[in-house]
Amino acid sequence: MRYCKEHTWAKVEEGLVRVGITDFAQGQLGDIIFIELPQVGEVFNQGEVFGQAESAKSVSSLYMPISGEIKYVNDNVEDSPDLVNTNPYDEGWIIIVKPRNFSEVSALLSEEGYTSLLEKS
Amino acid sequence: MSYVLFTATGCTRCKIVKNFMTDHGIAFEEKNMKAEGKDDFKKFYSANRCFITRGQDGVEFPVLTDGEEIRQGIGASIAYLSAGKRLDGFFCVGTLHKEWVDGIHPCSGNLEHADEFLQVMRYLKKSSMKLQVETSGRNSHVLKQILEEGLADKVVMNVVGPTALYSKILRKPVVESDILKSIPLVAQFPSYQFQTTVAPIIRQEGDVPEISYLTPAEIGEIAKLIEEGTGNKKNPYLIRLFKSSESKDERLKSIEPLSSLFPYRTAARAYQVLTELEKVI
Repeated sequence: MRYCKEHTWAKVEEGLVRVGITDFAQGQLGDIIFIELPQVGEVFNQGEVFGQAESAKSVSSLYMPISGEIKYVNDNVEDSPDLVNTNPYDEGWIIIVKPRNFSEVSALLSEEGYTSLLEKS
Repeated sequence: MSYVLFTATGCTRCKIVKNFMTDHGIAFEEKNMKAEGKDDFKKFYSANRCFITRGQDGVEFPVLTDGEEIRQGIGASIAYLSAGKRLDGFFCVGTLHKEWVDGIHPCSGNLEHADEFLQVMRYLKKSSMKLQVETSGRNSHVLKQILEEGLADKVVMNVVGPTALYSKILRKPVVESDILKSIPLVAQFPSYQFQTTVAPIIRQEGDVPEISYLTPAEIGEIAKLIEEGTGNKKNPYLIRLFKSSESKDERLKSIEPLSSLFPYRTAARAYQVLTELEKVI
């Protein structure tokens, strides 16, 4: 699993990349009441906003850790957005991306790198 | 008619609205979105998201619904409970917190129901809230009543332009003398401020409308009106930046922003020496 500084994670699975938000991000948001998902087929560049996570107290944009096309969205988080709070790395995944360039994944932060980023901020 | 009131733990305004309903025998179900009402609130939010107002601190509570309409905040909720849609326009969701309630607009709403509007203000005042009224200056007689009863702790008058441009800017009929009557009233409140947003104005409608910003000279005219109306050159007067994204008119959303507000401050300070520019982050 790799991480980006905008608090999304990326995990390569059989040529595709699964994406969600980190435990830190879900904790900052509080109880998530809505996830705005992109459409399957949409294409985004790395760093672009692909969706939005909303709690009663705040709204957070969701940033693409890599460039690519949306192949799947997690409909379960539309019905149960709290999955992102309870299982941010597992059932609370948000999108699956067909990456444009795998080198973008390897350039993301490692777990140590992301932890270090959180400690500095 | 039965109501659902979504509340948040520790929300004083929610308590006041609950008390209003209990005092008036209005049946309702409370759902605390931080406790037993969490799931219901999630469903409600998901289904009605585009109608729900979020401020800087998130969703404005309480959220009141009768299944047809949604009202948020203490003022709009009590107004709807008192008088249904009759008071629409007088109250909107505010931005202030703790003991302050804003989003109170005596200049909007249907004047036929001004008495009911004042009743809601009286209730809010009795509930130990501090009230901030915002007005364009229309309906000066309602503002006078608010002053006489001591219902507002602060008034912000948004002087949208020289009085001759008021109807054009507000897109509704305006009696210029009504605006002029409000100016001296505003200055009698315990705390007050005049302000003007330097906004683009549609000066001439048509296939290619003539649109231009308020000019520094026009801001000077406004500042002079304030001096003449109050007999004072030292009123708090704030010049604000136009935010195109907040404009309700699509034609104004794509207007180029102004490069500087300093010429406006210079023009205004000839008549209102304490004129300041809005600080933009």
